[in-house]
Amino acid sequence: MIRIFALLVMALSISVHAEISVIVNPGNANAVSTDDLNRLFLGRTSSFADGSKATPLNLAEGQASRDEFDSKVLSRSSAQLKAYWSKLVFTGKGTPPKELADDAAVKAAVAADTTAIGYISSGSVDGSVKVVATF
Amino acid sequence: MIKKSLIALAIAGLVTPAFADTTINGFASIKAGMTMGSDEQLYGYTDELDFKNESLMALQVRSDLGEKLSVTAQMMGRGNEDFDISFEWAFLSYQLNDNTTINAGRLRAPFYKYSEYMDVGYAYDWSRVPRSVYGLGFNNIEGVSLYRTDVIGGFDSTFMAMIGGYSGTTGLGDGKLEGFYGASWELSRDWYNFRVAYYTADATLVFANESVNNLLAALTSNGQGELARGIGFDKDKGTFFGVGAGIDRENLVIVAEFNRTEVDNTFFAKRDNYFISVGYRFGSVTPYVSHEWERHDAKPEIYQPFQNLATTPLAPLYFGAVATVQSQAREADTLNIGLRYDFHPSAAFKLQYTSQKNRLTDDRLGLVVAGVDLVF
Repeated sequence: MIRIFALLVMALSISVHAEISVIVNPGNANAVSTDDLNRLFLGRTSSFADGSKATPLNLAEGQASRDEFDSKVLSRSSAQLKAYWSKLVFTGKGTPPKELADDAAVKAAVAADTTAIGYISSGSVDGSVKVVATF
Repeated sequence: MIKKSLIALAIAGLVTPAFADTTINGFASIKAGMTMGSDEQLYGYTDELDFKNESLMALQVRSDLGEKLSVTAQMMGRGNEDFDISFEWAFLSYQLNDNTTINAGRLRAPFYKYSEYMDVGYAYDWSRVPRSVYGLGFNNIEGVSLYRTDVIGGFDSTFMAMIGGYSGTTGLGDGKLEGFYGASWELSRDWYNFRVAYYTADATLVFANESVNNLLAALTSNGQGELARGIGFDKDKGTFFGVGAGIDRENLVIVAEFNRTEVDNTFFAKRDNYFISVGYRFGSVTPYVSHEWERHDAKPEIYQPFQNLATTPLAPLYFGAVATVQSQAREADTLNIGLRYDFHPSAAFKLQYTSQKNRLTDDRLGLVVAGVDLVF
């Protein structure tokens, strides 16, 4: 009974949550691991593996892919992340990544900036950006 | 009033320049609390419901001046200071490289794991940081700090070193710290972290308690300067050593810290303080239990060499010295039970019951506080 219920929950969550793709500029040759994503999006580093500058871009709060990214990649709830950033912001140690309104805005920003890294729903990906990871 | 309008002007000045990239953030706590009994006082609360004591509001302005230089000012008004605004932090930051930043100005001394954001209630689950353990009586240092993040053997390393000084109120009276320096280092990985901190400074102060100042003066004028110097603070070396560890795994959150503070050649007791806190996140609700211990050993070795005075006309001064030294002994246990409820994306409701037992007097105090912490 419990197992069936668990399967149902899994099936439901799969159907509800769309896959997200982490995207960089096509001119960016760096590989990006989940650890790298954590460090970039939690403000612990601001450069890619080759040492070049990285500019992480978040989707606005409330966007479904933002929640997906927060929970799957950063393994934190939005409240936990807000608490995390408040520690850094109010001690002068960091500022959270810039937020953009939607997939289109993130895609345009990444296509235009070789330092940018963002994430969008996989359905929104096109040739203007390069996918380095999916979740 | 003049001070406030000057600050308002300063804010206006900071916000408007067209060339600087300026961000404004803030945080606030609104807390209501009262103790359980008519003669009970704890953390500034009495048995009358109070909305001001632990409430506070802060505004932070950060201006990125470009070329890796930024300036940050945090203005805070605390309810227990009638919301008079003061600069809690004010510093320049210069980013040396990708993972090293130098800050200079008024900074928060990172004695404890939660020191630097102890005022930002939203950043932790408790209603307040464990006061028994976070109780040095001053928090800010004027000086320079170096902040560095690294990856060392799979651990995320955060290192901070600071030099500077302090003058102002302390737990015992107005005073100053000279030659303050030290460092703290935190390692974290996946779901666990460790921390160690060491700071030292030379402490000088005038006691808030006038009778202690009078006693020391009387001892000195009666040829007992050595005993007086053994009690008072005159460029005496103080040391702080702290360790901490935390676990945050599958919604279980455990934090523990221990610290020892000593000031040589003063009556300042050897203070050992420690706590452990255990919480569990059920979605947006996090109940927790924490326990704090204070173990402050008085230093009878200060007055014991002078016990011959007890049979001389100076006996009252001698016994005054004994009582003064012994007054630094403290043994107290504090239990906290509470919860955090994230009812809003930027705000958390908190409820906490605190029960403190003074083991030397056998008195027990109870306190209930409810409130909201938010960031904006």
